[in-house]
Amino acid sequence: MRTKERRLIVAFHTTHDAMAFEDYCLSRGAAGRLIPLPREISAGCGLAWSAPPGDMAGLRDLLAGAGIAPQHIKEMEI
Amino acid sequence: MERTLDCMGMACPLPVINAKKAIEAFTEDGTLRILVDNETAVQNLTRLGEHNGFTVTSAQDGEKAFTVTMAVKASAAKAATVPAEAVSCAVPAKGGRVVVLSADTMGGGDEQLGRKLMKAFIFALTSQDVLPDKVICYNRGAFLTTQDQDTVNDLKKLEAAGVTVMTCGTCLDYYGLKEALKVGIVSNMYDIVEAQVGASLIIRP
Repeated sequence: MRTKERRLIVAFHTTHDAMAFEDYCLSRGAAGRLIPLPREISAGCGLAWSAPPGDMAGLRDLLAGAGIAPQHIKEMEI
Repeated sequence: MERTLDCMGMACPLPVINAKKAIEAFTEDGTLRILVDNETAVQNLTRLGEHNGFTVTSAQDGEKAFTVTMAVKASAAKAATVPAEAVSCAVPAKGGRVVVLSADTMGGGDEQLGRKLMKAFIFALTSQDVLPDKVICYNRGAFLTTQDQDTVNDLKKLEAAGVTVMTCGTCLDYYGLKEALKVGIVSNMYDIVEAQVGASLIIRP
């Protein structure tokens, strides 16, 4: 029932990476939240970071700052 | 002796009762075919036949059409009995689907992971085509309707779509969250019990 919206989605190599990135973003007031990994990215189980669309560079900076290498970054409708 | 019994459209346990009457009328070995329109009836008739020592087979003839075939032995027909498990009728759905969130974590194990999983569960719940009728939060589930903004927003989306979100008032009081409720209504134990007793499905992550 939820209306789909455009988001930047980050998939991680491990659940620990996903949780650590959430902590990092929250501590810096960066917008976004953890969500279940969208099926469009993978049928597997996992957590993904969902951020507002548009600022791919800012998102990459955050990942670099956290020292986390993402598995995928994709802008998509979820 | 062969007989076909049409029980299409009959509510449980009528197919079993009618089949038992038909079995009793067998004065010689033969075949009884019973036509029914649901799987519960197939299972109940199979239990009836097997309980009385008959070979039973069944086939699905259509989306809502089944044939149960019993090889009736006349020697057992007169004394045929109905086992209790052959009158198992599914209780019709009354209260719909209820999601019970009795903690702010999902599953046992690591608490931090459990919190993330619960948030993910509630997010995924908002994307379902079929939504629950009610979401009930109690004990640490009360934190989900008060403290976590992402979860509160998801629960607000569910509420806007017609889902009743209820939080245990005793729990809000116990955790000092009485003034912090951000979504749904405060509920009491009577409502919580009533919702679960009347539910056709309870989902408890």
